[in-house]
Amino acid sequence: MKLSSLLKATTAAVFLTAGAAHADVKIGSLYPFSGQLALLGEESARGLEIAVDELNAKGGIQGEKIVLVRGDAVDNNQAIGEARRLISLEKVAAIFGSYSSARSIAASQVAELSGIPYFELGAVADEVTGRGLKYLFRTNPYALHMGEMIIDMTVKKVAPALGKKPEDLKVGIIYEDSSYGTSVSNHQKEFAKKAGLNVVVSSGYPSNTVDMSSLVLELKQAGVDVVLQTAYQNDAVLFLQQAGEQGFKPGAVIGGGGGYSTQPTADAVGHDKIEGVLDVDFTQYLVNTKATPGLEGFVEAYKKKYGISPRSGHSLTNYMGSKAILEALDKAKGFEPDTIVEAAKAIDIADGTTATGYGIKFGANNQNDRAKMMGMQWQGGKLVAVYPDEAATAPMKIGK
Amino acid sequence: METFLQVLANGLMLGALFAIVSIGLTLIFGIVKVVNFAHGEFLMIGMYLTFVVTGWLGIHPLYTIVIVAPLLFLAGAATQRFIIQPLMSARDDHIQIFATVGLSTALINLALLIFGADIANTPSGGLRTPVEIGPVRVLSGQLFILIAAIALVIGLRLFLQKTQTGRAIRAVAQNRAAAQLMGINVNRIYVLTFGIGAACVGLAATLIAPLYPTSPNIGTYFVLTAFVVVVLGGLGSIGGAFVGAMVIGLIDSFSGFYIGSDLREVAVFGVFLLILILKPSGLFGKSLNLSHVSP
Amino acid sequence: MTDTTAASLAAPAADKPAAGRPRRNLIALVLFLAAIFLVPVAIGDQFVYHVFITICLFAGLSTAWNIVGGFAGQLSLGHAIFYGIGAYAGIILMNMGISPWIGMFAGAAVAVVAAIVISYPCFRLKGPFFALATIAFLEVFRVLALHFSGLTGGATGLMIPLKLGWEWMVFRERLPALVIVYGMMLVSLAAAWWIRSHRLGFYLVATRERESAAQAAGVSTVKVRLIAVSVSAALCAMFGTFHAMYLTFIEPAAMFSLTTSIQIAMFALIGGIGTVFGPLIGAVFLVPVSELARGWLGAHALGLHGFVYGIVLVLVVLFMPNGLMGAMKRMFGKAEPERGVQAASVAATPRASERPAIGHEIMVADHLDKHFGGLHVTNDVSFSLKEGEILALIGPNGAGKTTVFNMLSGFLTPDSGGVKVRDAAGNFVSPTTPGDFAAIGVGRTFQIVQPFAAMTVEENIMVGAFHRFHDVGDAREAARETAHRMGLGPWLNAEARGLTIGGLKRLEVARVMAMQPRILLLDEVMAGINQTDVRRAIDLMLSIRDTGVSIIAIEHVMQAVMSLSDRVIVLNSGQIIAEGKPQDVVRDPTVIEAYLGKEFTHAHA
Repeated sequence: MKLSSLLKATTAAVFLTAGAAHADVKIGSLYPFSGQLALLGEESARGLEIAVDELNAKGGIQGEKIVLVRGDAVDNNQAIGEARRLISLEKVAAIFGSYSSARSIAASQVAELSGIPYFELGAVADEVTGRGLKYLFRTNPYALHMGEMIIDMTVKKVAPALGKKPEDLKVGIIYEDSSYGTSVSNHQKEFAKKAGLNVVVSSGYPSNTVDMSSLVLELKQAGVDVVLQTAYQNDAVLFLQQAGEQGFKPGAVIGGGGGYSTQPTADAVGHDKIEGVLDVDFTQYLVNTKATPGLEGFVEAYKKKYGISPRSGHSLTNYMGSKAILEALDKAKGFEPDTIVEAAKAIDIADGTTATGYGIKFGANNQNDRAKMMGMQWQGGKLVAVYPDEAATAPMKIGK
Repeated sequence: METFLQVLANGLMLGALFAIVSIGLTLIFGIVKVVNFAHGEFLMIGMYLTFVVTGWLGIHPLYTIVIVAPLLFLAGAATQRFIIQPLMSARDDHIQIFATVGLSTALINLALLIFGADIANTPSGGLRTPVEIGPVRVLSGQLFILIAAIALVIGLRLFLQKTQTGRAIRAVAQNRAAAQLMGINVNRIYVLTFGIGAACVGLAATLIAPLYPTSPNIGTYFVLTAFVVVVLGGLGSIGGAFVGAMVIGLIDSFSGFYIGSDLREVAVFGVFLLILILKPSGLFGKSLNLSHVSP
Repeated sequence: MTDTTAASLAAPAADKPAAGRPRRNLIALVLFLAAIFLVPVAIGDQFVYHVFITICLFAGLSTAWNIVGGFAGQLSLGHAIFYGIGAYAGIILMNMGISPWIGMFAGAAVAVVAAIVISYPCFRLKGPFFALATIAFLEVFRVLALHFSGLTGGATGLMIPLKLGWEWMVFRERLPALVIVYGMMLVSLAAAWWIRSHRLGFYLVATRERESAAQAAGVSTVKVRLIAVSVSAALCAMFGTFHAMYLTFIEPAAMFSLTTSIQIAMFALIGGIGTVFGPLIGAVFLVPVSELARGWLGAHALGLHGFVYGIVLVLVVLFMPNGLMGAMKRMFGKAEPERGVQAASVAATPRASERPAIGHEIMVADHLDKHFGGLHVTNDVSFSLKEGEILALIGPNGAGKTTVFNMLSGFLTPDSGGVKVRDAAGNFVSPTTPGDFAAIGVGRTFQIVQPFAAMTVEENIMVGAFHRFHDVGDAREAARETAHRMGLGPWLNAEARGLTIGGLKRLEVARVMAMQPRILLLDEVMAGINQTDVRRAIDLMLSIRDTGVSIIAIEHVMQAVMSLSDRVIVLNSGQIIAEGKPQDVVRDPTVIEAYLGKEFTHAHA
């Protein structure tokens, strides 16, 4: 049985290397590094890497150097396999991840069964923390925060600027039909109902579509004032382009993260055409840095390490979350799962003291209750913070 | 009424888009009889080439056709010569399908390796200008695609009917063995046909790149629809593929507007399955015997 | 010395060196299977467990796929439908408090229904078209799973409560999961092995190779393929349930995914499509390779791993088109011993001394009419065949002879008129499908020979023999007997594709004879064979007739027509222009005119 002996040898080799590096503390970095989600998976992982570099420069945690071990969660079965490999072969103390909600849900079930802490730094689906897991924590804001912030902004800022009462405002909710778009749009509908908004169109579509003209027509026909779209890049570009070309000019377009936050989207659509489009997402870079101390340092470290500016706020969000957790671990004694959990539960960071602006305090289900999204707007080809006011670097421009 | 006309116009423009992507596949699938799952990736390569060449030379994207189409011809010919042809004698046609699946995987990841997962934007070169025709609006670039698709259909038909090579291609398509007996080099014809099919995709790519953002996965958006179009139009029928594309474009557009955007795939594939089951020779196929009835 | 004895002497000699091989193969197989279980247990590492669980999962799925994709030759790229159905059934029921052990069978039941509904209309489609149709169905299933979110949880997917234990098929440790999936894999392999070595497997392969010939041999091609697809779907669904419990979380994009479907088929292809153990070998080889490659290459650059994976696939397909099994056979197996290629003559068969008297009508063609488009191919053709009679059907090319045959055997339905056959009990019935005709004892050959190319001569004839015998041993016995009688003895183990045209013609007749038909329809069995063989073939047909079989023969060899037939029917342009004793018919001016043109008749007159 040649194959099995080969496999044994390989396994043994890996064990040996694992043994040699025992003085370090190993942390799993589980993101989709290949496949369709690779771009933002990689971007997210960079935030974690910068946080680790920063702490290692200060002498590591509890005096030990942090070693990141990558796991490629290209699909769900792979996420599980890689989580297993990280836990059993690499003997990581905890896993950090994972950008994609589906990968996170799959991999964290494994971690839970193995009793290894899992820190989610960027996935937004409700179900990540909705399962009552003991070893799973989420530092970032999720779909609920996004829906809440979008509706909040619509009611408090957009409606007055358009000179309409919230209940007279015709809202169209469109979303890509995977887990991300579906869960954000569900929260949008729920908060819109509470706020008394008039939702006239609600429609999902596959994100790999090549044509959105019929959806644009539907919105145009319904006389929609405000379009709320939750989209990836391809469909964000398509919608904005086709809306312009079909002569559909709603009072406001509010994107829910994803494609709406990336520079290539603005470049593809055209800076003049994307001007004024709103977006709610993780904290990005053009914010009032008084509200986000540490942001400039992060951007500098990023540029130095990767040679380009951060491509989206994912890295920042992952950086902030992982940094806070790792700093908390520094104060703990040992890397036993329960010690880590205790250390995490003890975290109490106030708003306005981190690079993303919000603080950390884990509440029910181990979700960071202080996490918040931020309202932004494309102005002059750049995504600037406009909401809430304390983080804003420019006033929101709506209406003519 | 105005809305109806706009939905109609959108459907036709979408149909033109599907048509220009599918015409090359009609040649490959209809004549070489190979299910080329890498067809979408040829389009992707063409779009990246358009993007790169436009950037390097600073020319209008449409002019890149003189570079892109010949390169794609070579890519297609090489695929046939070095991957498909050695498998032509294989026991069953499963094998060729998997070879093209492997090729498709390799090409998508090669693009990922070279260009990253980010979208690449080819300058639109004025092709995104809205044009008003009566009550409906379309883009100048979309009209270009429609005109190019019609021109391509006519051009290919003339080529297949009037030229010696074209007649040889048709002979091979109808009866491979007989064509061989008549002294036609069948392998050469296949390489040529595959090349021409790929070159058509190259032409499509130069027209599509200014209108759609390019990404490594762009091909996968088109490939299934392209197969639907080719089967619908009748295998190897170029005019049929054009009409088939229009039908799919209209179904897509109308179902998207009147049924719901999330179910339009069900409508498109549902129609495809119905045609496949009820009239497997396609809407315009000349009783090509796809099913295996009697000896 | 006749060829029959030569073959019987040669056969045991040829078998001898092979006798030790099956046992050695069996031991290797058992060791191999045991290793798949023991390696992870011995290493005891969670990740290694995961790799082996994935191996077992894909080996099982791929083996199940192979029943349809390999044996039956229907290239399904939609098998994730069944896997997904199983997964959803398992999780939906578990959330209702029902154990996945029950959910597994519920899922399998639903998958079988889905498989039949999907496959039945698609069986007319061949090769790539079937593949495209299955992809389309898969897409439809995925979109519907997204759309009906009340049941499926929509895009966000479904999760299971983390209830541990055997009852819920969810475990903290990996060993029980391995035990379950390993057991399921063995079931899958056993099912594939059983099918391949029983009548059903022969029928499936025959259907794959030549659908029409299989129908003529009495195979209900639709039924056997429906059985195959049902078994395959049920197994896939059960693996789906297991995998859902293992993943603890499912979503439409992952469950109804084209990538998974292609992967399942790919393992079979790499291992050796259509072989029992090929998919297993493929999964054992490919899963660890892709896991290790991901580890080594994945970190280096975006897409490098996928690029290498794609290139490897293309290379494997190019250089090992028969998969690993084929490559192993070439390396370890001995080449098929060369048999004498020179065609042996048809064995001389002792004639029964007494010919039974010609009896009552056994088959009646009643006003057969058939149009192809504007062409009137047969025009009001009526005749009858009597028991024990040899009836020759002659006529110039394009006269409609083969069309008449197709109507007499159920391959074509006449536009008007019908065919009646007297069954064994003596009642006239009107069969419609090739299967009905075969069942009632009508056997036919094809003008263009229709061998099952990938099967051996013996297996070819066995397909016919299965018409009478259910058991493989009995069928093999009958097939050998028929083969020797037909002078095919020396080639029993040769693949049919290697035979000469004369051999193929004989094989065609042998397959039908193995069915022991009461009525035999022979379509130009003597075309293209040499003079000596024609003589012997005539003797053979006479001896067949003497056993009480009634024969209709389309024949151009006039020597045979004259010496064989009791009666001749001449067909021209779809109409019967003459009928009678052979000597009379050949002198009939209308017949001469039909064959040779008007001038010839006048010149003679």
